[in-house]
Amino acid sequence: MFDARHKKLAEVLVGYSTEVRPGDIVRIEAVGSGSPLVREVYAAALRAGGHPEANLVLDETEEALLREGSDAQLEWIRPDLEWTVDEGDVWMMIDAPVNTKRLTGVDPAKMGTRLKARSPLQTRYLERSAAGDFRWVICGYATEASAQDAGMSLRQFEDVLYRAAFLDQDDPVAAWMSFGERLESVGSILDTKRELRIVGEDTDLKLGVEGRTWIRSKGLRNFPDGEIFTGPIETSVEGTIKFTFPAMMRGRQAHGVQLRFEGGEVVEATAERGQEFLREMIALDDGARRVGEFAFGQNDAITAYTGNLLLDEKIGGTVHLALGRSVPGTGGENESGLHWDIVCDLRNGGEVYADGELVYRDGRFLGVS
Amino acid sequence: MRDPRIDKLAELITGYSLGLREGQVYRIDGEEIAIPLAVALYRAAIRRGALPYTRIVPSGLDEIELQEASEEQLAHISELERLASDRLDAWTSLWGTVNTRSLTRADPERRRLQLATHYRMVNRRWERISTGDLAWCGTLYPSQGHAQDAEMSLAEFEDFVHGACHTHEGDDPIAHWQSVSAVLTARAREFEDVRELRIVGPETDLRVVVEGRRWIPSDGRQNMPDGEIFTSPVETGTSGQIYFAFPSVFQGQEVENVRLRFEDGRVVHAEASAGEDYLRSLLDTDSGARVLGEVAFGLNYEIDRFTRDILFDEKIGGTMHVALGGGFNEAGTENKSDLHWDLICDLREEGEVYADGELVWKSGAFISEPAAERV
Repeated sequence: MFDARHKKLAEVLVGYSTEVRPGDIVRIEAVGSGSPLVREVYAAALRAGGHPEANLVLDETEEALLREGSDAQLEWIRPDLEWTVDEGDVWMMIDAPVNTKRLTGVDPAKMGTRLKARSPLQTRYLERSAAGDFRWVICGYATEASAQDAGMSLRQFEDVLYRAAFLDQDDPVAAWMSFGERLESVGSILDTKRELRIVGEDTDLKLGVEGRTWIRSKGLRNFPDGEIFTGPIETSVEGTIKFTFPAMMRGRQAHGVQLRFEGGEVVEATAERGQEFLREMIALDDGARRVGEFAFGQNDAITAYTGNLLLDEKIGGTVHLALGRSVPGTGGENESGLHWDIVCDLRNGGEVYADGELVYRDGRFLGVS
Repeated sequence: MRDPRIDKLAELITGYSLGLREGQVYRIDGEEIAIPLAVALYRAAIRRGALPYTRIVPSGLDEIELQEASEEQLAHISELERLASDRLDAWTSLWGTVNTRSLTRADPERRRLQLATHYRMVNRRWERISTGDLAWCGTLYPSQGHAQDAEMSLAEFEDFVHGACHTHEGDDPIAHWQSVSAVLTARAREFEDVRELRIVGPETDLRVVVEGRRWIPSDGRQNMPDGEIFTSPVETGTSGQIYFAFPSVFQGQEVENVRLRFEDGRVVHAEASAGEDYLRSLLDTDSGARVLGEVAFGLNYEIDRFTRDILFDEKIGGTMHVALGGGFNEAGTENKSDLHWDLICDLREEGEVYADGELVWKSGAFISEPAAERV
């Protein structure tokens, strides 16, 4: 079925997020399903003069690999992906899960082997991206599986996703541009600060951010989007944070996660549910115990938790931190096979102090409309 | 629900057709409709210790490309495809699409350009297949579209496909194809000494010179199902006439009741009861298009009816086929063409084939040993 919104979304992804130019090598990958959107992106990329290639990444092959693969097979990177990351111009990844819990029963050790093996690849594309040589976007796609996680129908979830992407507006690109301007005023508050203190329920956490870069995420690398993030100073994180939303990774979850940091390192990690999984993730490598990213969710068109990280981490009024690898361009130097975002809701009584000054309360930056 | 026959087919292709080994890089190509077989092949490859990956595309991308692409974009050869052609150890193409006629009404000139780009990539792949550096197998995943072309229900068509592959429950497909291989290899060797074939049938009396050419057994390595022996005739040696009772399908377009007359190897007269313009345009593709690139015996007797898909039709037990256009290097061809169009001649009712004057084939079967040709 042709959905006019797919076409609209495709034009934003091609024209705004990745700015496809004549002659660009454009790799379009959809994970799980998503063919109707792939077709529209393929068409839009051709109209922009690019050389698009599409590939549907299958859930079942990943499962077969993780269940039955040897270490050599788990560590192998498929050549088309490697080439895309090394030589491609644009990479679009459409996340269209058929079953978000398909990997829940997979041996975490095998998952760890796979994550570690792919780490250099991720570093390479993030570096090429930071240097401006590689434009990529991860785009959410509404499926029955993601709707089910959100506790709603597919039609309802499609509406949530499209509102979050500003596709309900006449000119989504203009909406993202004006969103970018608002993010700029948030950035101007954060750019000069040395230390942040986050205060909320069971939470009092300090992070050093001096000299680090706050990146404005305005619909280029994630879609939907809307956050501002940096990589905190690796040894600076001190105190406790309790996460409101479950910590999720490839079909597994830990609920009620609480972390205590000393000298930048997790020294205590508890979960009300999924304690063992939490420990395994943190034990992946040395960098997995340190914070690679700290961010403010800034998309007010996303209001409710849906169990889809791409949306949840952008909810206006939340913050999230990622254990593991920092993102090139922020100044962060943490290395790890892990990059695990966990979200904390500050909309009810949360406060943020920057160099001792209150700059944020109940989920809003003070003085930003 | 998983169809156990699909797993069996995947075992057959990875184990027998490709002989997939540990550490070999293996790519599986197909459209979305073929995902169940792609996944089964992937799993079988993992169990063999190979390094598999899939390239699955949504249906309809070719149509979108024809609508949106500039000529320069249509002629673009993907670097990824070039790398794959140069480096893969093994490759499977899963044919099978949702609608076999989705491009029938496309602009013919743009479609020609698109196909030319496609064939440039395929030819590159064949260079390594013919030297044995790349193991390749093409097969078809049964879809509603192909069932409809074959005038069957999907369930009937699936039964038909697995019958032709010998992948039904209880079958031992690898043992079957090994024995097919032995029979076809022996038959191909017999033909090495033949100088001229004479094919006689309804409105057909055609002489084809094959002296000095190699006969090749198609024994389930490069196609599944399979079952033919073929060669590329001497370019100047074809004369006489031949009638093709089955519709001849090329790139989604049909030509019916084709009659060809050859002199000194070239088509000098061609007619068809429907699609004659298309027939003429194919003959005018280039100078090699009027010359035979292939002559072959169809020897898979599980394939007993016409399906409008050449993978099956050219192997119908009891038929012969010839191809207009490019021949096979490994058979010793000298004919070059962008066309390779297989046309099937039904010899099951009243056909006869003479090899250097001796009757070797009657009513759809060889009359001499090796007698196990009913494969």
